Amino acid sequence: MSALASDVGTRTAVAARDLVKVYGKGDTAVRALDGVGVAFAAGQFTAIMGPSGSGKSTLMHCLAGLDTVDSGSVHIGQSEITRLSDRDLTKLRRDRVGFVFQAFNLLPTLTAEQNILLGLELAGRKPDQVWFDTIVDTVGLRDRLRHKPTELSGGQQQRVACARALVSKPEVVFADEPTGNLDSRSGAEVLDFLRMSVRKFGQTVIMVTHDPVAASYADRVVLMADGHLAGEIANPTADSVLAALRHLGA
Amino acid sequence: MLKTTLAGLRARTARLVLSSIAIVLGVAFVSGTLILGSALDANLHNDFARQTRGVDVSVEPGRSSSGSADEDRGGISQTQLDQVRAVPGVAAADARWGAQVPLVGANGKAKSATVSALEGDQRLRMTDLQEGRMPAKADEIALDATTAQTAKLAVGQKVSVLDQADKPVPLTIVGTYTQGVSKSSLSGDAAVLLPSALAPLAKEHYVGQVVVAADQGVSQQQLADRISTAVGGKLSVKTGEQYTVDVLKQISRGSGGLTQFMLVFALIALVVAAMVIYNTFTILVAQRTRELALLRCIGADRGQVFRSVLLEALVMGLFASVLGLGAGVGLSAALQAGVGSVFGGSKGPVQLPLTVNTVLIAFGVGVVVTVLSAVLPALRATRVAPLAALRSLPDSQDEVRRTSVVRMAFVAILALLGGGVCFIGLRSGDSVGFIVTGLGTMVLLGAVIALGPVIVGPVNRVLGALPRLLFGVPAKLASANATRNPKRTAATTAALMIGVTIVTMITVAAASGKESVTSEIDKQFPADYLVTSAVREHPLPTSLADQLRAQPEVQTVTPTGSAEVKVNGKSLYLFGTPADSLGKSVQLKQSQGDVSRLGPDTLLLSDSQATRYGLKVGDRVRAGGATLTLAGTYSNEDQSSAIVSLETLQRIAPGTGYRMIMIKARDGVSPQAGQAAVEKATASSPIAEVASGAARKSDLAGRVDQMLMIMWALVGLAVVIALFGIANTLTLSVLERTRESALLRALGLTRGQLGFMLLIESVLIGLMGAVIGVLLGIGFAKLVVSALSTDKLQVGFVLPAGQLAVMLAVAVLAAAVAAVLPARRAARTSVVAGMAEA
Repeated sequence: MSALASDVGTRTAVAARDLVKVYGKGDTAVRALDGVGVAFAAGQFTAIMGPSGSGKSTLMHCLAGLDTVDSGSVHIGQSEITRLSDRDLTKLRRDRVGFVFQAFNLLPTLTAEQNILLGLELAGRKPDQVWFDTIVDTVGLRDRLRHKPTELSGGQQQRVACARALVSKPEVVFADEPTGNLDSRSGAEVLDFLRMSVRKFGQTVIMVTHDPVAASYADRVVLMADGHLAGEIANPTADSVLAALRHLGA
Repeated sequence: MLKTTLAGLRARTARLVLSSIAIVLGVAFVSGTLILGSALDANLHNDFARQTRGVDVSVEPGRSSSGSADEDRGGISQTQLDQVRAVPGVAAADARWGAQVPLVGANGKAKSATVSALEGDQRLRMTDLQEGRMPAKADEIALDATTAQTAKLAVGQKVSVLDQADKPVPLTIVGTYTQGVSKSSLSGDAAVLLPSALAPLAKEHYVGQVVVAADQGVSQQQLADRISTAVGGKLSVKTGEQYTVDVLKQISRGSGGLTQFMLVFALIALVVAAMVIYNTFTILVAQRTRELALLRCIGADRGQVFRSVLLEALVMGLFASVLGLGAGVGLSAALQAGVGSVFGGSKGPVQLPLTVNTVLIAFGVGVVVTVLSAVLPALRATRVAPLAALRSLPDSQDEVRRTSVVRMAFVAILALLGGGVCFIGLRSGDSVGFIVTGLGTMVLLGAVIALGPVIVGPVNRVLGALPRLLFGVPAKLASANATRNPKRTAATTAALMIGVTIVTMITVAAASGKESVTSEIDKQFPADYLVTSAVREHPLPTSLADQLRAQPEVQTVTPTGSAEVKVNGKSLYLFGTPADSLGKSVQLKQSQGDVSRLGPDTLLLSDSQATRYGLKVGDRVRAGGATLTLAGTYSNEDQSSAIVSLETLQRIAPGTGYRMIMIKARDGVSPQAGQAAVEKATASSPIAEVASGAARKSDLAGRVDQMLMIMWALVGLAVVIALFGIANTLTLSVLERTRESALLRALGLTRGQLGFMLLIESVLIGLMGAVIGVLLGIGFAKLVVSALSTDKLQVGFVLPAGQLAVMLAVAVLAAAVAAVLPARRAARTSVVAGMAEA
């Protein structure tokens, strides 16, 4: 923990260089990413923001190795993931990356506990019981472990998803609109947990959101517009983010 | 609303095509069977038509007032034929008669052939010349085309028939012909001789019919009236028209059996297809919950939603019926070609008569089954609340409900009903009982199907244990997936289960039957070899027994004979056996008097024969030239009805040959060597036919296996439909779980593992159906076999483990194959696209 904490702000966890991603062909081609270069420091909570169609989700998918890029490169730690085969990408996702999605985060057939441990099982790794207990207690799901997702509230489901993302101690957690489907109270719980994981455990978190309040939980906000980087805000507040967005929208 | 439905149909074409394959196959089976039936009927009509063509008047021996069959024995006399010929207006009249005559084939062995007297007049012949010409001289013969083919005989070759003293009569084959269906043509080999050549060969010259052609200008009725007057009331005279009507009445009994037999299997296939369709629509409706809810939000009422689902089913049913009908035509053509080659007949060209009835039934079955199968899912669609459009549904879970009281009550009723019917069937203990028990088991099968959603969970836990242990996470997920929706899994499984149950039942019952019949043969075959006459009316020469005794390989030779005598005015067939064979090859269950000894004047009768002839133990009867004393009666009806010693038989009917010679080989003689010795000793007699218990058994086993293969093929179609059902369910599940699959991929499941997961799920579903099916089939077969078992024939229960294992293996393999396409599809979807899909 202390080792991680000392890295804060000094080491780069994820870096993208000259990323280009084009959807479609010919006249209908859309340059979703048009030469994006950005770096994310380890142990930081970064939010990517921008209007609809700005390319923020595409950027995250490319950073996480979920989607291929047309040119440019992405590094996670020392590995250039844009060169990896599907098999190696799968392995990378399994071992070094955690995900939290907007909805449909959990397998309906598995209990909360099984869902949390699914990634580790896929990787064939033994869960670290102390770490597992720490996370479960932090998200406050101790008494819900044996429940199926349909028996949990939306906020609880999302906290299970967060626990699953963290339990494998990934180098980086990507969160795609994690509060998009939640009411503001449940959303705040999830965001609190994500911020705490950064503060307490030195976790690196990259979150895509369109909600200025959610973004205000982050250490840094990266703004996007039309496939380009459009600026950034350090130590954002809801108001400063809103102001920046209004500027972008105009 | 119509536009929406049609747009939906266009959008989901691929899914619907896959689902409709089940209906296509079912309709193809039904229409193929009906077309085959029509073709067979048409063949029969043609064949019968040949029998009646050109006949203006038919004269047959009439029933006299006393009604005794014996009095008809003389048939129509030559005088009566002459009288008919003399009637004015008769252009030609010919006697139709025939006799069983031994025809010696190329291998030197005789086979009984039905030889008919050739009608003198061309118009009255029921044969169509195929090659050469009809006999014109006494030493010429024409053969039925099939007979010539089987016996490897051709026009121009010499052939011989045996006269009554078994002396060969040389003949020249001058032609081959095809002939219409009649009593004679059904019995196998057939040939035509001039009446003058046939008369000395035939034991009795019985003319059962005279056919008459009329002169120009004379009506059938006129001529019939004139002939009736001329021959008096002794003969029955009918017009050609009436004769045709009478003949056609027999047809209804012709092809009906085969068609009905096949329609039963077609019905099974349709039931399975209906389950697949039901399942498909249930899944489609569940997946479209959002879409349907949106329609309701916009203002569609429940009726419109219901109708839109049914319209979809209707279009699918029509589409499938068209394809199915086309496939049915092909199937029928293939079957006719197959039937022709199996039964070795040049049955003529393949006919495909497509009647209006067949088309209507094909469409009716296809559309009605599809629409009916969609009714329940459509009703479920109407229950979708408009608000569902706004919710995100992770899984089509609305149909996941476990047991309900209604279901359990339904299961209980079916189980009680099936059990009751089986009980009645088992108690009645005859052939009807066997069918009743069979029906009972089908009701029980229904109970198990209804119970399905309740049992798939536990069964899956048991079956999934091993893969879970061996293959880790993908297997765990697959096992959980297989039962996440018990109703869906149960319906998919049930389709396969029906087929496998029936196949198992047939296989086990057939194996048990085969086993008990072979053991029955062992009992009935007291000897190693049997020599019998190939021609019923021609007994074996007595010299044959001496020739057999001369063989060093032969230990004992036991000849038996038979003769017909008149006892108290009724004819009685006496069976002659050596006096010392009682208690050995002839075992009698004594009922009255003494049946342990055969003296020179002893007669033994079965109980029923004693009653029939009104004889009691101690009574004396005159038979032939001898007086016999009834010494005892016996109760086993499987034995000959009247037994005397062989010497007595020779005394009563001198010169009678042997009916059968039983031979026991010396110890240490191999079956082949024994067979060769017996064949060598009988080579001189063309009518001697050698049989052995072993040969009879393998012959019978072969026939049972052939029948089993046909049944397997017929039920196989239902299994194929069920496998399409599995593939279909999996494909739809994969579509439904696109986001889930993407999530798993995002979490680190490789493409291979994702495919493997589906493979295991498919195999688990297949195994569930196959294992339950095999277990049920074995149980049902046990019931049916014990219903089949009577005092006379004890049917033991045999488990053909090898065949069942092969069946299970095939089911697993087929289920794995069924998973290939869905698995590829699931693996292909990109992670991002999968997550984005609503």
